[in-house]
Amino acid sequence: MANAFVAAFEILSFGAIIVLIVLGLGIIASMMGIFNFAQGEFVLLGAYITYLAYAKGLPIWAGMAAAPFVVGALGFVLEALIIRRFYAAPIVAMLGTYALGLIIRESVRGLIGGFYLTVPEPIGGSIDIGAMHISAWRFTIIVITLLVMGGCYLLLSRTSFGLRVRATLENPSLARASGISTPLIYGATFAFGAALAGLAGALIVPVFSLFADLGLRFLIQGFVAVMVGGVGSFIGPVAGAGVIGTLSAALPWVMAPVVADVLVFVLAIVFIKFRPQGLIAGKGV
Amino acid sequence: MFDRTQLSRRRFLSNFAFASGAVATGVGSWVIPAPWANAAEAPIKVGIATDLTGPIAYAGNADANVAKMVIKEINAAGGLLGRPLELYIEDTASNESVAVGNVRKLIQRDKVDMVLGGITSSMRNAIKDPIVARGKTLYIYPQLYEGKECTPYLFCTGPTPAQQCDEFIPWLIKNGGKKFALPSANYVWPHTLNIYARKVIEANGGEVVFEEYYPLDQIDFSATVNRIISNKVDVVFNTVIPPGVGPFFKQLYEAGFLKNGGRLACVYYDENTLNINQAAEIEGLASCLDYFKVLTKENPFDAKIQAAYEMDFPGNFLFAAGSAATGTYRGLKLWEAAVKEAGKIDRESVAAALDHAKIAEGPGGPAEMVPGKRHCKMKMYTAVAKGGNYEIVARSSGLVDPKEC
Repeated sequence: MANAFVAAFEILSFGAIIVLIVLGLGIIASMMGIFNFAQGEFVLLGAYITYLAYAKGLPIWAGMAAAPFVVGALGFVLEALIIRRFYAAPIVAMLGTYALGLIIRESVRGLIGGFYLTVPEPIGGSIDIGAMHISAWRFTIIVITLLVMGGCYLLLSRTSFGLRVRATLENPSLARASGISTPLIYGATFAFGAALAGLAGALIVPVFSLFADLGLRFLIQGFVAVMVGGVGSFIGPVAGAGVIGTLSAALPWVMAPVVADVLVFVLAIVFIKFRPQGLIAGKGV
Repeated sequence: MFDRTQLSRRRFLSNFAFASGAVATGVGSWVIPAPWANAAEAPIKVGIATDLTGPIAYAGNADANVAKMVIKEINAAGGLLGRPLELYIEDTASNESVAVGNVRKLIQRDKVDMVLGGITSSMRNAIKDPIVARGKTLYIYPQLYEGKECTPYLFCTGPTPAQQCDEFIPWLIKNGGKKFALPSANYVWPHTLNIYARKVIEANGGEVVFEEYYPLDQIDFSATVNRIISNKVDVVFNTVIPPGVGPFFKQLYEAGFLKNGGRLACVYYDENTLNINQAAEIEGLASCLDYFKVLTKENPFDAKIQAAYEMDFPGNFLFAAGSAATGTYRGLKLWEAAVKEAGKIDRESVAAALDHAKIAEGPGGPAEMVPGKRHCKMKMYTAVAKGGNYEIVARSSGLVDPKEC
C-alpha cells in the first residue's frame, strides 16, 4: 500500500515535470504552427539563470522568479529578429530554431565549463508520512504545474488576449482586418511560450542539476508528447505530455529500464499511426 | 601572490607562439614548439589526442594541461637524450569519427613519436588501430577503465577493475554491509566492471541483490530507488554516469537511504564530480582511486605537482584522478623513463623499455609497469566524502597489481 502510494507519487511528479516542459512547446506549436527546436535550450536558459542567481549568492527564489521574464524577453527579441522570417516555411523554421538552440546550448556549455552543477532547492528535504519519504520539491513542482496549467487555460480561454491569440491562429487575415496586430500577437505568444520554458527550467534544475544537455534531454520526449496529444489546441499537447511523462516514469517499475525507454516511443508511434490527429483533435483552447 | 593580470613579455610571447601555432595547423590542432633548436637532431614529438570539446571536455582539457606541464618540466631539465620535446595536441571532440581523422594528422602529417590520450573506452577502441596498427606508433591510454585491453604497443596507466575493487569492496562490506545493489549505465565499462565486482563481492561473503542497466540519458530513477529501499540494500555500488547520477543520488537521499545507514560507492568519483550534488546528498560516498587532492597534505611530491598545476592552470579544469589527469602524468613520466633507458626513440626500443619502466614519484606515489602486461602497478586510496570534501580512510599497503592480460 505504502509502496503503491510512493510509486503513484513518483510517476505523477515526473508526469508533472514533462507537462511543465511541454506547455510552452505546445503553445508555440499549436498557436503559431512553429515546431520550436530551441525550446529545450529555453529550458536550459531558465535553469542557467537560476544557477547564476545561486552562484551570485542571491536567493534561489529570486532566480526562479526572474527566469521566465528573462527567457520570455529573449524569446520576444528572437521572434522579431529571426523566427518571424520563417513563418511561410515551417521546415526551414525547424532548422532555424535548431541552429538557434545549438548556439544557445554550446554557449552555455562554454559558460559552465561542461560541468554538472548542483542547485539546491528552495524547499529541500522530504515530507515524511510514516515510513514513506516523498520529495518536498517534487511535490512543490506538482502544485506549481497545476497552477500554471490552470493559469494558461484561463488566459487563453477567458481573456481578450487569449481571444486575440486564437483569432490570429484561426484566421490571420480576418484578425488583421478586425484590427488585431498579428505580428505583435505572434511575438507575444512566442515570448509566452519561451517564458514557460524558462520557468520549467528554473523549477527542474534542482532535481536534475545543471548541464548543457538538460534541455536536449526533454526535447524529443516533448515533441512526441505534442504529436500524441495533437497539434492545434492548448489541451492536446498537455494531455499528450501527461501520457508520455506518466508512461516513461511508470514502465521502469514493471520492466527492464532499457526496454521501457524504447517501448514508450514504440507505443507513441503505433498510437499516431492509428490516430494521426492525436488524442484531442481540433483547434481552439 | 602571483598576479595573473600582469602580462609579462615572456607570457605574451608564449601565448603568441601558441596562437600562431593554432592558426598554422588548423582548427582543433595545437603545437607547442620546442623551446630551443638543436642543430644536430630534431625535437622529439609527443602527440596528445584528447577530448578538448564535447561533453567530457573538462577531462580532456585537464589532460592536455597536464601534458603541457610535464613537457615543460622535462624541457626545463634539458629535454630527453639531449633533444627538446615538442607537443602536438589534437582534439578528439568526444566524437570517434572526428577523432580518427585528427589522430591520422598526428601520425601522418606531424609524425609524432608517441600518442597519449583517449578518455572513453569507445574512443580508445576507435583510435588505437590508426595509432598502433596502421600508424606503427606507441600508444598510452591514461584513464581508469574496464580492463581487457591487451593490444601490443598499447600501454595503460590508469586503474583497472582489480585495482579499484580488490581492496575497496572488502572495505565496503566492513563499513557498509553485505547486500549490494549494482545500478549501472548501459555501456561497456559498467557491464565489464560489474562482472569483476560481483566476483569480489561474493568471494568476500557479500551478496548482489540486483544489477540493472539504464539508458545513458535516463534521469528519473524512482523505480530503482524504490527497489533499493524495499530490498534493504546496504551498499549502492554505482556505475550510473552523469547526467543520471546527480538525480539518482538525490532521489536516494530523499528516500532516506543515507539516513537509514546506507553506503554509496562510486569508483569514478573524484573532485570534479563533488559538485553534481549538494554535500549532504552524497555524505559518506566512498570512492577508490589512485589519487585524491587531500593527499597533498601528507605527500610532499603530490603537493608539489598539485601546486605546479594550479599555478599554470588556475581554471575549472582540475588535476583529478577520474578525468585521467593523474594517468596522463604517470604515462608521460613512465615514457620519459623508458626513452632514457632505451637511449633512442624508435618504437621497438621504447616499448621494450616501457614494458618494465618505473617511476619513484608520481601522483599518489610510485608506479611501475608489470612486465609483459602493459598495465601499471600503483598505490590505491579509498576516500569518503565528508561535507563536500574527501577524507582518506584506507590505502593499499604497497603497489596494487592490475591483474590484466
